[in-house]
Amino acid sequence: MILASAMEMIHNALPAAVLALGLATLFAVVLLIASIKLRVETDPKVEEVYNVLPHIDCGACGFAGCASYAKAVVANPELIGRCSPGGAETSVAIGRALNLQISGGGAPSRPIVHCRAHREDKLFHAAYDGIESCTSANAQPDVQACHFGCLGFGDCTRACKFDALHIVDGLSTVDYDKCTGCGACAKACPRNLIQMVPFTQDNMMTVACSSRESGKTTRTFCKVGCIGCGICAKQSDLFTVADNLAKMNYESYAPSEATQTAMDKCPTGVIVSRGQTAPADRQPGQKAAAATA
Amino acid sequence: MATGRGKGTFPGGVHPAEGKAISESRAVEAVPPPKQVAILLSQHLGAPCQPLVAKRDKVQAGQMIGKSESFVSAPVHSPVNGTVKDIALQSHPVIGRVTAILIEADAEGNTPQTPVFNRFDHTFSPEPFAVETICGAVNDGGLVGMGGAGFPTRVKIEPNPAMIKEVLVINGCECEPFITCDYRLMIEGTWQVLAGIRLAAKAAGVEKIRIGIEDNKPLAIGAMTEAAATVKDIDIAVVPVKTKYPQGGERQLIRSVLGKTVPTGQIPPTIGVCVLNIATCAAIADAVVLSRPLTHRVTTVTGHAIAKPGNYYVAMGMSVADLLDHCGGLTAQVAKVLMGGPMMGFAIADLTTPLTKTSGAITVLTQDDVTKAKYEKQQTPCIRCGRCLTACPEGLNPTKIAHAVKFNRMDLAEQYYMSACIECGCCSFVCPANIELTGYIKTGKILVARAKKRMQA
Repeated sequence: MILASAMEMIHNALPAAVLALGLATLFAVVLLIASIKLRVETDPKVEEVYNVLPHIDCGACGFAGCASYAKAVVANPELIGRCSPGGAETSVAIGRALNLQISGGGAPSRPIVHCRAHREDKLFHAAYDGIESCTSANAQPDVQACHFGCLGFGDCTRACKFDALHIVDGLSTVDYDKCTGCGACAKACPRNLIQMVPFTQDNMMTVACSSRESGKTTRTFCKVGCIGCGICAKQSDLFTVADNLAKMNYESYAPSEATQTAMDKCPTGVIVSRGQTAPADRQPGQKAAAATA
Repeated sequence: MATGRGKGTFPGGVHPAEGKAISESRAVEAVPPPKQVAILLSQHLGAPCQPLVAKRDKVQAGQMIGKSESFVSAPVHSPVNGTVKDIALQSHPVIGRVTAILIEADAEGNTPQTPVFNRFDHTFSPEPFAVETICGAVNDGGLVGMGGAGFPTRVKIEPNPAMIKEVLVINGCECEPFITCDYRLMIEGTWQVLAGIRLAAKAAGVEKIRIGIEDNKPLAIGAMTEAAATVKDIDIAVVPVKTKYPQGGERQLIRSVLGKTVPTGQIPPTIGVCVLNIATCAAIADAVVLSRPLTHRVTTVTGHAIAKPGNYYVAMGMSVADLLDHCGGLTAQVAKVLMGGPMMGFAIADLTTPLTKTSGAITVLTQDDVTKAKYEKQQTPCIRCGRCLTACPEGLNPTKIAHAVKFNRMDLAEQYYMSACIECGCCSFVCPANIELTGYIKTGKILVARAKKRMQA
C-alpha cells in the first residue's frame, strides 16, 4: 500500500522534475554563453588598488568613492597621495600595486579650527531660535556679536564621517585621535574657520581666531580674540599680522624658543597648540608659567 | 506682446495683521542731523564701492564719498558736513560686517535737511530733461531700488536695445505689515512722486504707466488718481489691487496689474516691464530736478515698543540707536528690533547698525507680538496639510523643497524649483507645524551657491 502510493507520487511528479531539470540546464547554458560573450574586462590592478584603500567613500580625494578613485589612480598615477584617511601607508601600498616607488609622502593634513571662544568667552549673544544649523544662522547677520567666530551649531560635526569633531561648550573641537584628514569639515563651515594644515609635528601652534575687526572692537565681544597687536610677529618671523589678525606660516613651520615666547606673551592667549597631545589652552589673563607647565 | 488687464490679484498670498494704524496718520517729520554717520560702502546689489576719501578729510553734505567702476553698482554720498573719522567695518543689516566710512558731523553749519514736497506741483513737465541727463543724474545720485532689494536704478531705467520696455509699473502696494513710508510719500509728496514717475518713464521710453496701490489705502489711491489725471501726454492710470501679502513683490504686482506672468528664472524686462518703487520715484525727482543725491529717505519707525512711532525723514548712515532715541526710545517690553517689516525684515542685535538706502522701516516688537505670532514654539512634523502650497505666490511646493534641503538632497530641491522662491515667508507664516520652510529654502540656496562656487574653483 505504502509502496504503491509512493510509486504513484513519483510517477505524478516525474514530468515536473524533468521540466525543472530541463529549464535549469537551459538557463545554465544561456548564462554560460552570456558570461563568455558579455565579459567585462576588469583591470586586476584596479582591484588591487581598491583593496588597499580604506573603503569609507569619504570623498576626500575628490572622487565619488574609493572605487572611482582606484580607477582614476590606475589611469593616472600622479593622483597618488590624494587619500588622506589612508595617509602615507596607503600611498605606499598603491605604489606597490602599481610597481612604483613611493616614498612616505608629505605630512598628513589635519583640520585646525581658527576660533577658540567657548560659550563663556563670547560676549553679547542674540537669542536665536531659528533652524539649528550654522549655514542658516550665518544668514542672520547679528546672530552673535562676532561675525567671524564659531557659531557652534555643528555643521562640521554632521559633515564628519569619523566622529572626530564635536561641539564642546559652543566651540567646534577636533578629536585628533579619530581624525583622518578628509577635509569634509572645512568644506561644511560657512565661516571658513577650518583650515587643512600639514601636520609636520604631532602638535601644531596656531592663531585660533579669524576676527578681522580692530583690536578694540574684538575685545568688546570676545575674551580670547586676536587683537592684532603684533607682539607675536616681533618675536618670530613665522607670525604675520594683516587686517588686525595674526597668521601662522605653516609652509616653513618650525617651532622654536621664539615661537614659544610669542605664545606665552600673547595678551589674549589666542596662540594655542592643536594636535593629539596638545596641552590645554591657556586661559586669558593666566600667565605663561601655567601654559608651559 | 499683448498687454491684457490684470485682475488685481495673484494666486496664493497671505493676510497678516496690518498694524499700519500705528504710524499711517503721522506726517513725515525731519530728524535733526546726527552727530555721527556711518556710510556703508555696500548698500545695493552689485559691486561694493571704493572709498573716495581718506581719514581726516573734510566732506560736504552731498559729496560723493564712495564709488565703483562696476556697471551694477551705485555711489554713496555724505549726508552731512563733517570730517572722516575712520574707514572701518560696520554692521550691515543684511550681509554682516562691511566696510563703512565714519563721518563726524561738524558742530555747526549742519542744517537739518527737510523733504522738498512743496517744490513740485501740477506744472511739472519732464520736457527739459534729456534721457541722458536723467540717467546721468540717477547714476550720480546713487539711486537704488528703495523697496528692499537695492538694485541700482540706472541699470533698470537705462534704455537697453536688448530689452525694450513697454510698461512702467509703479509699486505703491506696501504690502509689508506696519510700514507706511511709501503711503505717506504718496499723500504728502504726490507731485514729487509723479514727477519722478514721469522722468523714469521718459528715460525708460515706455508707452504706458500703471501705478499699483493696495485697496486698503484709499487716500493714496485718491491722491495719485487725481494727480495722474493732469498728465495728458502719456497713458497713465492708477490700478487699485487687492490687499494681500506679497502684493508688492514685482512678479506678483505685474500679474495683478497687467495680467502677465514673468517666466520662472527671468526678470521683468524680458516681458517689457520695468518696476519701480514709490520712494525710488520720489528720489529720482530729487536727483534729476534738484540735483540732490540720495542721502536722506523716509523711514517708518513703528511697533508696539516705541514711544513715538511715526514717519521720519532721516539721514542715511544714522545709527538705529540714534533714530530710536529721537523717537522717544524703546519701552520696557521690547523683545525684537527689525530692520524692515515683520515679514521680510531682518532682526538686528547691534543697534549701532546704520540706516541704509533700503531701510524703509524699523519695527520694534514686544514680547507679546513675538510670542503671539509663534504661539507654539515647538516645531512639529509636517502633517501634509498643503497650506504652504496654497499660500505660495510662486506656485511652488515649499514643504518638498524644505525637506529636500533638510536631508541634504540639493538635486531634489533644485528639481522642485528652489531657485524660483522669492523668500516672501508666506509658507512659514501659514505652517501649522511651525516649520521654518523659508529658512530651509534660504539655507538650501546658500548651500547650492557655495557648492557651485567650489565647482568653479
